[in-house]
Amino acid sequence: MVVSVGGAPVGDADGTPGPGRPGPSGTTRRDLALGLRACALTAALASAVAVFRPWRPGAGPWNAPGDAVFAQTYRGRRIRGVWIPARSAAEGGRWHVTVDGRPLHLMRRADGTWLSMVDHYCSYRTPLEAARATVDELGPGRLLHAPAPGPADGGHLHMGHPHGVRA
Amino acid sequence: MAYVRKDAGTLTRAEKHRFVNALLELKRRGEYDEFVRMHIAYFSSDGEKGLRAAHMAPSFLPWHRRFLLDLEEALRRVDSSVTVPYWDWTRDRTTTSAPWTADLLGGNGRRSDHQVMTGPFAYREGNWTIKVGVTDAPFLTRDFGRPRAPIDLPTKTDLEWALKDPAYDVSPWDSTVTRGFRNKLEGWSTGRGSTSWRNHNRVHRWVGGTMLGAASVNDPVFWLLHAFVDLQWHRWQHRHRGARYLPATPPGPHDKQHGRIVARHEPLPPWDVTPDELEDVGQIYRYS
Repeated sequence: MVVSVGGAPVGDADGTPGPGRPGPSGTTRRDLALGLRACALTAALASAVAVFRPWRPGAGPWNAPGDAVFAQTYRGRRIRGVWIPARSAAEGGRWHVTVDGRPLHLMRRADGTWLSMVDHYCSYRTPLEAARATVDELGPGRLLHAPAPGPADGGHLHMGHPHGVRA
Repeated sequence: MAYVRKDAGTLTRAEKHRFVNALLELKRRGEYDEFVRMHIAYFSSDGEKGLRAAHMAPSFLPWHRRFLLDLEEALRRVDSSVTVPYWDWTRDRTTTSAPWTADLLGGNGRRSDHQVMTGPFAYREGNWTIKVGVTDAPFLTRDFGRPRAPIDLPTKTDLEWALKDPAYDVSPWDSTVTRGFRNKLEGWSTGRGSTSWRNHNRVHRWVGGTMLGAASVNDPVFWLLHAFVDLQWHRWQHRHRGARYLPATPPGPHDKQHGRIVARHEPLPPWDVTPDELEDVGQIYRYS
């Protein structure tokens, strides 16, 4: 069942990028056999990490076109999703989805489907379906990683915490 | 002289021991977790903005080829005899066959929480704590075949379907293409149900648990899976003599894929290497 959670508190979801997360250090990746130079990963991350900017709320069986919120309990887990509209023409809106209060980062595919950080190799028609699949995969007892402390909700700190990953 | 990557099912006891020990040493030094972070950082989806280097893009194969070379180089600094073995999932298809033995990667997760309890990467052994993960679980998880909605490993026929395609990749070079060797091997589909995962993606799904998430590199089978994927690229080149990585040139400024993918002679982030330079690595390693 899809119910409104109007007025649900939503943080500044775009967050403040943290310091660039270092990747494998140059000393671990000097493939001299290829005679190639590894460039600075920190700089590369700035251009390579995709920012979560879906175009619009997804439509599907769980949330009808135009729905901007969903909330349900599935297998004992609290799932919530809130569409956060674009704040400027330069950026799109995005879904902020949580499972038991913890942010679930979603990515959008070119065919309009969604995949989550927990279930990363197949995709679902809607953010809610992706969240339910995440619950299926989490099983009993396991939680998404706790959000990082900070001024934002911690779920989408792309630079400091790529895609909201415990690190 | 080129070194040899071997079928995991043919490794001697000593070879398995040395491979495992080298992995554990990288983990102990903190180097392994950097590989986990890097793969997460470069998994960009095609419905969003930005360059896609590792997935849903033509450079899926060269990106992972180079990623494996980096891991392999790190392993070989620990023990110069070590190479990354491959898992031939078209032959070793049971939950107890290679590479799931106690002297290599250990077995399936237990029923209650999917925690891996056997082998050198079991949490209780004390050498493999998940530090970069998408859940709060510090242990490796697996859920072979997803018993609640069973799925099989891809077959030889599935691989053949990819290998016989003479085009390396086709426009729009993303997860929606239905032709081209790259996506048939990577395995994105617009279908639903069990046909929606093919080859590479389906193996991630079959192993399940940690391997299903963004931090899949935490399960060492990631490397064995991708060594076998890499071998398929080699086989495809051998079968389609003269066929090359595509696109040869970047999409034009009015193409929606402009700036989104890596063409044959463009640098492949985060490295200063092009797909062209990674098409033939026969001087570095070969497959047995």
